[in-house]
Amino acid sequence: MSEASGDQVGIQFRKVNKWFGSMHVLCDIDLDVASGEKVVVCGPSGSGKSTMIRCINHLEEYQSGSIVVDGIEVNNHKANIDRVRRRVGMVFQNFNLYPHLTILDNCTLAQRWVRGKSRAEANELAMHYLERVRIPDQAHKYPSQLSGGQQQRVAIARSLCMSPEIMLFDEPTSALDPELVREVLDTMAELAGEGMTMVCVTHEMGFARQVADRVIFMDQGSVIESAPPNEFFDNPREERTQRFLSQILH
Amino acid sequence: MIDWAYMWEAVPDLINGLGMTLLVSFLAIIFSLLAGAVGCALRVSSVKALNYLIAAYVEFIRGTPYLVQVFFVFYGLPSLGLKLSIFWSGVVALSIWASAFHIESFRAGLTSVSKDIRNASASLGLRAWHHGLFVVFPIAARSALPSTLNTVVSTIKNSAYLQAIGLVELTFVAVDRIAYEFRSIEMFLAICVIYLAVVLVVSALGHRLERRLDRPYVGR
Ligand SMILES: Nc1ncnc2c1ncn2[C@@H]1O[C@H](COP(=O)(O)OP(=O)(O)OP(=O)(O)O)[C@@H](O)[C@H]1O
Ligand SMILES: [Mg+2]
Repeated sequence: MSEASGDQVGIQFRKVNKWFGSMHVLCDIDLDVASGEKVVVCGPSGSGKSTMIRCINHLEEYQSGSIVVDGIEVNNHKANIDRVRRRVGMVFQNFNLYPHLTILDNCTLAQRWVRGKSRAEANELAMHYLERVRIPDQAHKYPSQLSGGQQQRVAIARSLCMSPEIMLFDEPTSALDPELVREVLDTMAELAGEGMTMVCVTHEMGFARQVADRVIFMDQGSVIESAPPNEFFDNPREERTQRFLSQILH
Repeated sequence: MIDWAYMWEAVPDLINGLGMTLLVSFLAIIFSLLAGAVGCALRVSSVKALNYLIAAYVEFIRGTPYLVQVFFVFYGLPSLGLKLSIFWSGVVALSIWASAFHIESFRAGLTSVSKDIRNASASLGLRAWHHGLFVVFPIAARSALPSTLNTVVSTIKNSAYLQAIGLVELTFVAVDRIAYEFRSIEMFLAICVIYLAVVLVVSALGHRLERRLDRPYVGR
């Protein structure tokens, strides 16, 4: 019932609707993200970007339509939610690291309790990813001892430790001081270069141009425009997109 | 004048009393912490009726004199068909009293755990109970610790009330000797020093634990 044809990878939204009480926050969302594709989502505050990507790993429920991730229907079945979350990692605006655990333990907790790995195995993989995000020397510190940029890179490493096929980013740089944004975007760009499927809510337009295969503009719960970055930035078709772009680019 | 020789003579009796004080307090601390944890879980559970029930329990215990609660357990419960020995009446009364305060401390501790962190655990696939045990519990425990420690110390001090139902603990021993030998200053001084020593040791251990749990947060 939940498993569609095996070659159906990536993410498919079909007529997805969500309400918070009487507020219609997602309106008939149709969206396909192919395996390996990098999609940047932008739009004004309150347009439903976070809600949309949080539906992908079922941090939010939706009321109608369907979302399928790598052939798995995202619905209320616990088994499906578990399987989807095995494939999908997520990075949040506020890092959401575990404040009471060292950087290393932040990266090993889920490996050990979700994947049942030994401490040694988990440590090894954690160090591997901490090296990739270039902070292996911080492994034994606590989150409070790191800069925001470093904390966000730890959050990325922590997600990668679960070997996801898809990564979701919800405004990963908007809580950072401007001088720390670069290091996080560079890490994400590297990840993109390695073929990770990515859906990223961000207003970093330089990053979108450099990395995205497609940029999506949302407004009032709907996807208004979806186009490759060059077309999206240089020739937006929709008037609302144009207005939004002129606001954030000036 | 203080008769030091008399005080010295009383030491074996006092040590016996202290043993009982420590035993009753220890059991009550353990039971009240467990009851506090369960009570707190019910207090914040999604079952509204349980929330109100626990809230009422906490209000009742905090809003009535402790001595009355002790009498209620020892003299009142038997007429409801529950007859406990002096010892267990003491443990139960003390546990009931302390658990109400623990419930509130633990609940305050829970509010210090950010909601967002639940999202992180969910996205990593952690089960709710793993998240509770390895994430919520240690974060909440740290912020609940100071007030929990306060209740633990008060549990020890409040064990003195149990002399009123005839439990032969430290205060009982002192009062008993005074009744026959009238050396009140010696006896009260002695038990004050003993209580203070116990409380200081427990506080010191508690503060060590506090510093340990604070370590991740005092970073820079
Ligand atoms: N838990 C919630 N309960 C009720 N309403 C909510 C909830 N979360 C979000 N909303 C509402 O849903 C709408 C979409 O919110 P969402 O957070 O998805 O927007 P967003 O595009 O991510 O905005 P931002 O750029 O500010 O992050 C908003 O109007 C918001 O107020
Ligand atoms: Mg958002």
